Amino acid sequence: MQETIEQAIARSNADYTEVRIEREDRSQVDFQRDKLENIERSSEVGGIVRCLKNGGWGSAVFNDLKTLDTRIAEATRAAGLVATRRETPAELAPVPTVQEEKRVELARDFRDIPLKEKKALAEAYNNLLLTHDKRIVSTRVRYTDSFREVTVANSEGTFIVQEIPDITLLVLAVASDGASNIQQGFESIGEAAGFELLLGREEEVRGAAQRAVDLIEARSVKGGQYTVILDPHLAGVFIHEAFGHFCEADFLYENPRLAKIMTLGKRFGGELLNVVDEGYIPGLRGNTPYDDEGVARKRTTLIRNGVLTGLLHSRETARAMGAEPTGNARAVSYAHPPIVRMTNTYIEPGADTFDDMLRGVDRGLYAVKAYGGQTVFEQFTFSAAYAYEIRNGEVGELVKDVVLTGNLFETLRAIDKIGNDLELHGGSGGCGKGGQFPLPVTDGSPHIRAQNVTIGGN
Amino acid sequence: MNALLKKLARKAEQGETYHLTATTVPIEFRAGRLHAIRTAQTEGLALRVIRDGRLGFATTTDLGNDETLIDAALASAAFGDELTVRFPENGEPTAAAVYDPALAALSQEKMITLGERAITALAEADPEVEIELSLAKTLETVEIANTTGRTVVEERTGLSVGFELSKASEGDIFMLADGFTVRSLAALDIDAVIERLAGFLAHSRSVVPAPTGPSRILFTPNGTITLLLPLVVGFSGRAVYMGTSPLKGRIGEKAFDERFSLTDDGTLPGGPRSAGFDDEGTPTARTPLVDKGTVRGFVYDLRTAALASANPTGNGYKGGLFGSGGFRTPPTAGMSNVIVDAGDRPQAELLSEIGEGLLVESVLGLGQGNIHAGEFSNNVAVAFKIEGGEIVGRVKNTMIAGNAYTLLKERLIGLGSDLQWVGGALRSPAIAVDGVSVVGAMQ
Repeated sequence: MQETIEQAIARSNADYTEVRIEREDRSQVDFQRDKLENIERSSEVGGIVRCLKNGGWGSAVFNDLKTLDTRIAEATRAAGLVATRRETPAELAPVPTVQEEKRVELARDFRDIPLKEKKALAEAYNNLLLTHDKRIVSTRVRYTDSFREVTVANSEGTFIVQEIPDITLLVLAVASDGASNIQQGFESIGEAAGFELLLGREEEVRGAAQRAVDLIEARSVKGGQYTVILDPHLAGVFIHEAFGHFCEADFLYENPRLAKIMTLGKRFGGELLNVVDEGYIPGLRGNTPYDDEGVARKRTTLIRNGVLTGLLHSRETARAMGAEPTGNARAVSYAHPPIVRMTNTYIEPGADTFDDMLRGVDRGLYAVKAYGGQTVFEQFTFSAAYAYEIRNGEVGELVKDVVLTGNLFETLRAIDKIGNDLELHGGSGGCGKGGQFPLPVTDGSPHIRAQNVTIGGN
Repeated sequence: MNALLKKLARKAEQGETYHLTATTVPIEFRAGRLHAIRTAQTEGLALRVIRDGRLGFATTTDLGNDETLIDAALASAAFGDELTVRFPENGEPTAAAVYDPALAALSQEKMITLGERAITALAEADPEVEIELSLAKTLETVEIANTTGRTVVEERTGLSVGFELSKASEGDIFMLADGFTVRSLAALDIDAVIERLAGFLAHSRSVVPAPTGPSRILFTPNGTITLLLPLVVGFSGRAVYMGTSPLKGRIGEKAFDERFSLTDDGTLPGGPRSAGFDDEGTPTARTPLVDKGTVRGFVYDLRTAALASANPTGNGYKGGLFGSGGFRTPPTAGMSNVIVDAGDRPQAELLSEIGEGLLVESVLGLGQGNIHAGEFSNNVAVAFKIEGGEIVGRVKNTMIAGNAYTLLKERLIGLGSDLQWVGGALRSPAIAVDGVSVVGAMQ
């Protein structure tokens, strides 16, 4: 295999040639209500060739590994065509070449667990949801695991084989009052771990079911401006979606106006704010020991004491912006070339306790977990899974339909308390960008508090 | 019957193969210039089996290795759901005009020229705008065979065009996106999109404060997805069977304004999601969902239809509601082309009828709220203030909230007469409604 790839690369006419081959074994068990929607164990093999010729990029995707030479020629031709239109040629920042094989040991390797056992686990959690309360009308329990072996080789002499495990669980309960009031509660878990990760989660599963039922009775929040405490999960989604994507240099390097907004040294938040993207923390989903260009992971400080100190780079953006590659060129699968992505991104813990945050809040919200979030440049919207009112410094009644919105830069400046209780969350979904979804990432944060956050509502 | 199904026939009651061969050519323009070209030659095979009345599923890209795939699917069937469906034995695929030889033959060079022409036109409309554009050509062959001996094959072409325009300055970054998919080169009308985008760019130069309180809103065809997404979810036979759709048990009920009609039509010639048959080989159909305000039907795949004692409507799609799962995922109930009937007046007339309110082209966080209940609560992405029946400027940091079911029943002002393809699956006119909650942030 190694010889075939190296020989094909050696025959390439491109200025730079990169081959990535992936082998994936995956399984899934998916319950919806009392129905087993899917149970499967599948495998997939595919590859991508990426070529740089006269400063233009071309790539070619394939399932048939025997066609490697043809694909390299195809990608080189496309690259040549792109080069004729490029104003400034793409160039790559130099990095050390790497020859390494990284194998993974899992406590209970999910590839050795029979489908029967995976089904039994999902079914048990599903039964917990279904029998929790008669107002639970529907459920979803989805178990997934994936074990990928990724080979990255390039014409500079790099040859890396690394294994990437990923296991996730989503549990979701839908409760209804029998009429049009339909509410959800969920939990999602995901890590680079073995089957053991998902055992013993009964309490969280029951919690999700109870939340769906509780939300039926909950009042809708009244729209307006609030002091908001975000729990670690929601704050992590916020820092990833609203801020992290802004730090991805492929979004900036050809757009001088955006690059100016994201100038290093600029103040984005108070002294208390520190934000990091870290390529490897044992067990996390976002782990990228080597990225899909074969660049070793880094720990990149994006914000230090409120000031922008770093961006996330591929080799191309690093070269264009005079920076060092950060190991953030990632692809969701062999079907895509790598683009600049986050790995494990989090707000560093501060000094405040949860009680410190509550103090002095006359009218506020404690918003917990995110259904999801979307940002378009500086504007963001996040739906909290649920929230509690804060009245006179105390956590009160459960409220629903809490959608947070605002301007990223204003909201970063409005963060006035950062907790001492960092939590990292992998979840069962992933990050989407440029048609590449779902890329495993981890977000994290302690509890944080922000002033004057706009909450939508009727 | 193909060789794999013959091997399977001795081991299971039923079997079905879904074989996808695809060539995709995405061409990407960034910062107004050609950035990258990718070509993808992919091929995959999915196998569904029913053994001892239980369903199994597996996929592979290793096409020479039938035994491994059969074993994987049978292993899954050992623990699979009990199922009473039969894979279809007959039924002529509908003639949906989904292959265009001219599009199949479109070269990379011609695609580049198309893209460059569009970028030049947009740059003329607004020299300050940053333009990203993607053009992706798809050529795919789908072959579905099952153990009844039936095989259906279809070649399909597609060209997807997506624009992303942005204008950034300190304190204000504005982004505008639009896109569509066509099945034939003849249907390609990039100029119409450019005209639309140029119009929005012209109106976006000044930012004005948004109104606060219940307001009238004119959703442009692109904007109507805010109202229609809950319906797309709610009219899935799966959601109805699962009890998560508020439309359950309401066939024949007048649940919408009588000017509102909604159809799922997988047979529409040239429709972006039209096909001769769905991902289970069932011929596609035209299914009325709402007729003049009255609920008429839901969409079904084979399995949900069997569970709900309904008829399959040719809506078994891989990858769920908007199904782009390729060969990898098992089929479930999903929409094909969703069509809202046109109304009686041009969008411009609706604008003057609104008088004071908002024009909404797109929102953030689509589908994140309590979509089952029809609730939406979104920050606007691209929206404009209407005063005296005219657009006076762009609004930002503004939340709109309401309930799609209530608005389309009790608060409908009117529907536009011009239909537009939205995204790659919906065809809608502009829709004007009253009583949407609007919360503007402090500017």
